[in-house]
Order: sequence, then structure tokens, then C-alpha cells
Amino acid sequence: MTSERYAIGLARAFGGAIIFGLPLLMTMEMWSLGFSMGRGRLLLLVGFTLAVLVGLSYFSGFEKTFSLKEDAMDAFAAFGVGVITSTLLLVALAVITFDMSWGDIIGRIALQSVPASVGAMLGRKQLGAEQDMQAEEERKQEAGYAGELFLMLAGALFLAFNMAPTEEMILIAFQMTPWHALALGVLSMLLLHVFVYSIGFSGQESRPEGGTFLSTFLRFTLAGYGIALLVSLYVLWSFGRTDGVAVAEIANMLVVLGFPASLGAATARLVV
Amino acid sequence: MNREYKTGEIQAGKPVQQVPWLEWLAAGIGLFLVLGIFGVIGWQALNGATVPPVITVTVENVTPVEGGYRVLFRAQNTAGEAAAQVEVEGKVSTDSGEEVSQVVIDYVPGHSDRRGGLFFTRDPSSGTLAVRAIGFADP
Repeated sequence: MTSERYAIGLARAFGGAIIFGLPLLMTMEMWSLGFSMGRGRLLLLVGFTLAVLVGLSYFSGFEKTFSLKEDAMDAFAAFGVGVITSTLLLVALAVITFDMSWGDIIGRIALQSVPASVGAMLGRKQLGAEQDMQAEEERKQEAGYAGELFLMLAGALFLAFNMAPTEEMILIAFQMTPWHALALGVLSMLLLHVFVYSIGFSGQESRPEGGTFLSTFLRFTLAGYGIALLVSLYVLWSFGRTDGVAVAEIANMLVVLGFPASLGAATARLVV
Repeated sequence: MNREYKTGEIQAGKPVQQVPWLEWLAAGIGLFLVLGIFGVIGWQALNGATVPPVITVTVENVTPVEGGYRVLFRAQNTAGEAAAQVEVEGKVSTDSGEEVSQVVIDYVPGHSDRRGGLFFTRDPSSGTLAVRAIGFADP
């Protein structure tokens, strides 16, 4: 590993940060949430993102890693790429101007750097030509069930985060009847199961040896949907969407956001 | 976690010597940015980020324009919490009567200001001009 090769990895990371961060860079709610969401929740969200980045670095960073120290260094580098990319683009889009207060500016950058730094980490895998697929597959095998759950969490977080800031999540939850919500929940689980085990995407999971449909469903699909719902709850809480809302309405919102989250969990293996 | 076995051919010497300088630089900049962001947000958290909005409006400029007068103002939120849908109302009172104009500002973040303008048909300098924020909603 030389600096030149690392520089190529960094360039791909910038590419990933732009492409994966773009939808949220141009989402109005992200700008206002940057200064209006609870400061403690924002700090927690950035910290949680860093932890997820360390995990993602192990499975697929912009370089091969050999130790926790290197995974942490990669996570910081990806976060740095995310912050720099977000700052440049937010300034270019005039979302940040220099007559704003520092708290306002930093808040917007910090929130935007969450999707951008995950994008930076994924950049190498998605944009790189030579990938060490074998090493990656070995790691996924080696990490076992816990690793599988982590990848689902990362996928759910990424996709849920892309939807959660918008008003539409709440609006959809308000206009759905309980029957709609139940149907959407069933559909989410069905798609999660089918995407992971049945339709032959690359990186698809083979059904565990001797596993029956029921055990696979319980161990992976139901666990995955559970993770998707928890991630949805965490993201909605971070954005203050659950404050002062009745439990029944929160449940509706969870099912709505759980839909993209479970698709994210299902396709994590393809993206990561 | 046993990661040694599959890295054998690459990791011939000490792993520390194989970390390229660019990686140290990138990780260092990242760490610096993390600490900076945590510092600013943490500072806000500890310094009244949860005090409800207090919005004061100051008039900055009154200019005759086509069809009347334009009043430019600055709405300043001196507290920590952000305010949404801030309604600003201006009133010109002259001997011949009053005129009220209003505008809604989407957001005024904590410790920040936003600018806006109001239009009047009466000359504000011929009477008294009062501009103030009349309400807000939580974001």
C-alpha cells in the first residue's frame, strides 16, 4: 500500500461522498434540521455514524485493513472526506453563507456529513474497478451472524436516513389507515426475505445448510425487519419526529420508514 | 478476531511501517474535523441551546420604491432554540390612518439573524413605524 494507491482510494471516496450524499444535499429539511434538531441528538448521531463507519471499513473500506487502528483511521478519513465534500457543496449551493452564525453552519455540515461520509466509505466498493471480492466475501463469512446483522443495520440506516428528514414520512403515516400500515409491514418483510434469499442478486445469501424456511425466516428476515424498525425509531427520534406524538402514530411512522429501511437491510450486501 | 492468516503475503514487515503518509494525513484531518464539530455542537449544547426563541426586529433601511416604500429589517434570535414560521408585522401610523404589512420568515436559527422586507404605500417617515415579531412555531 503506497500513498499513490491510497490517493486513488481517497479520490473514489470523494466521488462516493458526492453521489451518495447528493439527494440529501438538495433536501430542504436537512438544512433546517441541521440547526434546529437537539444538539445532544446531533452529537449522538455523528458518534453513531463514526461507529458504523469503523464497522463498514472492516467489510469494505477504501483500502484493505488489518487492525482496529486502521479501521478507525479509515473511519476518520471517510468522515473527513464527508465533511469537506459537504462543506464545499453546501457553500456552492448557497445553503451556507458566511453571515450565518457558527452554530448554524456547523450544524448543517455535521448533519450532512452523515450520509456523505457513509458514501465516502462505500465509494471505493462502488466506483473502484479492481476490488478484492474474495477478501470481502471471506470477511463476511468469517464475521458470521453478528456481521450479517451489522450489515443489515448499516444498510437500513443508510436508506432510512435518506427518507427520514422529509415531511412526507409523517404525512404518509397520517394518511394511512391501520390496514394500510399492516399491509405495508407485511410487504416490507416479504420483500426483505425475497431480496435476500430468492431472486439471485449478486452477493445474495445462500440459505444456511439444513435451514428450513421457518428458521431462515426467523433468524434473518424477522431479525432484519426488527433492525429496520429500531433504526427507523432511532432516526425519527434523532430528528425530533417522535416528540409528543402518540404511540399509535409513532408505530405508523415506524412502518412507513421501516419500508425503505428493510429494503436497505436486504440490499446491504449488494452495496457494501 | 484472527485477521493475520490472510494478510500474510502483504504484511511482511511491521504493519506500522506500511501505513502511507497520506493515510496518516487523511485520518488526521478527519480526526481534527470530528473534534472540531463535536466541540462546537457540544459547546452549543452546554450554552443555552434549549432556551426558547427571543426575536427582536430592527429596521435597517427605508427607501421610496415604485408604488410606495420598502422597509428592510433584520430579525435577530438572541436565544439558543430555533424558531420556525416567524411572523413579522410592520405598522405605519400617520395622522390619516394606519397601514399594516406582514411577512413570514421560514426559520430563524438560534443566535442568528435573517433579513426581510415589507412594503407600504404610506411614507413611514411621515408618521411612526413599528416593526416587531408577533409569533413563531417550534420547528
